[in-house]
Amino acid sequence: MSNPDSVPDLTPPDSERQKPFDTSEIDEEEDNGGDENDVEDDDEDEGGNDGVFRGPNRPKPQSREARFRSEKLKMESLLQRMKTGPVSVRVHDVIIKGNTKTKDHIIEAETEVLNNVGSMQELLKASQIVNLRLQALEIFDSVKITLDSGPPELPGTANVIIEVVETANPLSGQIGAFTKAEAGSSTVEGSLKYKNLFGYGDLWDGSLAYGYDHSTELSAGLYLPRFEGLVTPVTARAYLLSQDWLKFTSYKERSMGLSLGLFSSEHHDVAYNIAWRTLTDPSQVASRSVRRQLGHNLLSSLKYTFKVDRRNSTMRPTRGYAFFSTTQLGGLVPNNRSLRFLRQEFDIRYVVPLGFYRAALNFGVSGGVVFPWGNGFSSKPSSLPERFFLGGNISPVCALGGPTALWGFKTRGLGPTEPRRQVNDGTADPSGVDYLGGDLAFTALADLSFDLPFRWFREKGIHAHVFACAGNVAKLTENEYRNFSVQKFVESLRSSVGVGLVVPTSFFRMELNYCYIVKKFDHDRAKTGVRLTFSAS
Amino acid sequence: MEQAGERESEEFTLVARKPYFDLPTACPACLPLFIYLKLAHFPFRLSFNSIFPDSDQIPYVESGTYVAYNNENGGVIERLKQDGIVDLDSEFHSVPDWVAMKAMISSWLADAMMYELWVGSDGKSACKIYYSDLSWPIGKVLFLKQVYSVKQRLGITKGNAEQREDEIYKRAKIAYGALSTRLGDQNFLFDDRPSSLDATFLGHVLVTLHALPETSVLRSKLLGHNNIIRYAEKLKMELIESSSSSSGPQIHSVPSSSTPKRGPSNWSSKPKSKPKREKTEEEKKFKRRAKYFLAAQLLAVLLFLSVMGGSDADDMELDDEDEGLVYG
Repeated sequence: MSNPDSVPDLTPPDSERQKPFDTSEIDEEEDNGGDENDVEDDDEDEGGNDGVFRGPNRPKPQSREARFRSEKLKMESLLQRMKTGPVSVRVHDVIIKGNTKTKDHIIEAETEVLNNVGSMQELLKASQIVNLRLQALEIFDSVKITLDSGPPELPGTANVIIEVVETANPLSGQIGAFTKAEAGSSTVEGSLKYKNLFGYGDLWDGSLAYGYDHSTELSAGLYLPRFEGLVTPVTARAYLLSQDWLKFTSYKERSMGLSLGLFSSEHHDVAYNIAWRTLTDPSQVASRSVRRQLGHNLLSSLKYTFKVDRRNSTMRPTRGYAFFSTTQLGGLVPNNRSLRFLRQEFDIRYVVPLGFYRAALNFGVSGGVVFPWGNGFSSKPSSLPERFFLGGNISPVCALGGPTALWGFKTRGLGPTEPRRQVNDGTADPSGVDYLGGDLAFTALADLSFDLPFRWFREKGIHAHVFACAGNVAKLTENEYRNFSVQKFVESLRSSVGVGLVVPTSFFRMELNYCYIVKKFDHDRAKTGVRLTFSAS
Repeated sequence: MEQAGERESEEFTLVARKPYFDLPTACPACLPLFIYLKLAHFPFRLSFNSIFPDSDQIPYVESGTYVAYNNENGGVIERLKQDGIVDLDSEFHSVPDWVAMKAMISSWLADAMMYELWVGSDGKSACKIYYSDLSWPIGKVLFLKQVYSVKQRLGITKGNAEQREDEIYKRAKIAYGALSTRLGDQNFLFDDRPSSLDATFLGHVLVTLHALPETSVLRSKLLGHNNIIRYAEKLKMELIESSSSSSGPQIHSVPSSSTPKRGPSNWSSKPKSKPKREKTEEEKKFKRRAKYFLAAQLLAVLLFLSVMGGSDADDMELDDEDEGLVYG
C-alpha cells in the first residue's frame, strides 16, 4: 500500500498544467486517480490522447524535462501507430462549454458526425469538420475542440470537449458589391447583421442595396440554422424593392414581399415568394402593351434552382463545367387573382484549358421561356417583369443563371419594341420606343482568355480575352407563337465580337472591351466601340 | 388637323373600369366619358383595366400612339375637345348658366358621390366596383388607403364628421333641386341638345341609382325627383341598352364577375314580389295534396280488389263444395 501522502508529491506543482498523460504520473497501484483529475482541467490542443492507451505504466519521471520527453515519445508512438493503421477509438461524450446564450442543441446538432467515428484518424477529421461547421454559424468568435480520454472504466473511448467563445459584439456591418444577373447590372449593398439574438443561432440582417440601374432595395432577413428539427436552415427575407425602368420600358416597379427559403443544399434550392407588385408610369408615355399591364398584382410563386458548378473559378474559369437551371411557377393561390406563369431558364458552361499562357476557351449556351397558364393562356400576354431582357453592363462570362447579357448591347437593348405615346410638345423623345422583352430568349458565347506576356500583368491577374456572342428574344404569347419559326428566330440573331482586357479586383471583375456589332436591328441599342463592364462575384 | 386625320385610320379605344350593377362601367369617373362618347355617336371600342383602382390616369382614350389621359389638361373630355376629336359643348361655353351648372356638378355632386361611395355607405359597392378582381389583402389595403384619402380631401375629421355629412347632403339636395328645375320635361338639360353637362350628370345619376345600396341617403334624395329618374332611364335605354345589342365588339381584358340586375321596376316594388312567392307555395301545397288523394284512392281500390277478389275465390270454392255436397 503506498502512502496516500505520496500522491500529492507525484502531481506537478502547477496543477493547471496537467497533461493528459497522467498515467505516467501515478504510482503503479494508483492508476485510477490521475485520469479522473484530468477530465475537468484539460486545455491542451488536440494532439493525441495518450490517456486512452493505458499502456504499460512508466516509471516515475524525475523532472519536467523528463516528463516532456516521455510525452513526446508517447506522441511519436501514437503517430507511428496511426500511420500504420487505424487506431480504434469511439466517442463517449461531447461536452460543450462556453455558451451562455446559445442553446445547447444548436451546437450538438453540428456534432452528429462525431457519433459515427471508429478510429483516431476519423476522429481527427470529424473534429475538424465540427470546428468548421460551428465557425460557419457565424455566432462564435472562436471554437476550440479538445480530445480527451474517456472515463477510465471504458477503454478505447474519448471525450470531445468543445469550447466556444460567443461573439462579444453581435452587431456587424459590411459593404459589398454584387451582380444581379436578372437585372443585368451590379449593385452596391450595405448591410447590418445582428447575430444570435435569441440563442438559436439566428442571424438577423438589414440591408440597403442600390443598383446601377436605379434600383433600390431595402430588406430584412432572418437565417435560422436549425428550426424545429428541419434538415436544412430556414431563411426568411422581407423586402421592399423599387426598380426604375422608365428609360427603357416606361414603367416603374415597386414590390413589397416575403421570400422563404424552404430547402437549400449544395445543388438544390427551393424558395417560396409572395409579393405585392405595382407597376406605374409616372412619365405617362408608355406604349400600349405596357399601359395594359400597369396596376397591382399579387405574386405567389415557387422557385426551384438546380446548380452544378465544377469550374475552378467564377471570376476567371480555366477548367471545368457548370449547369444552372431555374424553374419558377407563379399563381399559387386558390383563386385566379394572382399572376400565373411558368418560367424556365437554363445555362450551360464548358471551359476547355488550352495549356499555354493559362489560356482557356469558355463556351456558354443559355435559354429561357416564360408562359402564362390558366384559361385562355395562349391569347394572354406574359407579365412584363417576368419576361427576358437581353443586354446590360455585366460580362456574360460572369452572369450565370439564364440569358441576360451580351457584349456590346446596352441594358434591355434588343428585342421587340413598341412605339411610345406621341406627346405633342417640342420635347418629345425622338427614340420613342419601349423595349418589351420576349417570352423566349437564347444566347450563346465563346470566350478565349489568355495571360499577357508581361510579368506585371500576370502578377496582378490582368489578362486579355477575345470573344464572340449571339442572342435573340422573341414573343410567343398573345397568339404570336403561331407566327414563330426557328428559322426566322435564327435569322434574326443579334451578334457581336470583340477583344478586351480583364482586370479582376477584390470587389469586382472589370472588363475594358472593344466590341464590334456584327448584326443588329433598327431599334437595338448597341454601338461598336469601347465599353466597360463590371461584374461582382 | 393632321393629327386627327392620322388617328382616324385607327380605331379609338376607351379604357375604363369594369362593368357592374348592369352598367357598362360602374366607376363614377369612367361612366360620364362613356356616355359623352355615346351622345356624340362617336365609334369606339371598350376595354377594361381592373387591376389599377387607384390610378388617376383611368379612364383614357387611345388610338395608335395618341392617348388622352384623365389626369391631364382638365380631363379626357376637355382634351378631346382641344384636339378637335369630339366636341358637344361648342355653343355652351359662353352660357353662364351652363358653366355654373357644370361647376356645381363637378364640385357638389362629385363630392357627394365620393363621400357616399367610400364613407357614407358600408363600402361594399366601392369594393365591388374597384377591388373585385384584385387579391383580397391588396384590395383591403387599397380600400383603407382610399377611405383615408377621401376623408382628407373632404376635410372630415372625428370632430366634424356629422357636420360635414349634413353639409355634403344638403348641397347635393340643392343641386338635385336646381337640376330638376332646369331639366323640367325636356330631353336634355340645355337647349334640348346633349352636352358634356348631360354626360356628367347622367353618369352621376346612374351610378347613384344602380350602384349605391338602397339604404343610401344620397339615393333617397335623388329618388324624390321623378323627372330626373325618367330622364336617366330613357337615356340609359337609348344609349346603353339599345347600343349594346347592335354596337361593335367589347373587349374585356379580365373576366368580369356576375353583375346583379336591378331594373326600374325594383325602385319600390318589394311588396310585389311577395304575392308571387306565396302563390307558388299554394300551388305546391295543392299539388302535394292532390298526389296524396290520388295515392289514397289507388290504395283503396287495390285493397278492395284484393279483399273482394279473395272472397270471390272463397265463394267459388264454397260453391264447389256446395256442389260437391249437393252431389254427395
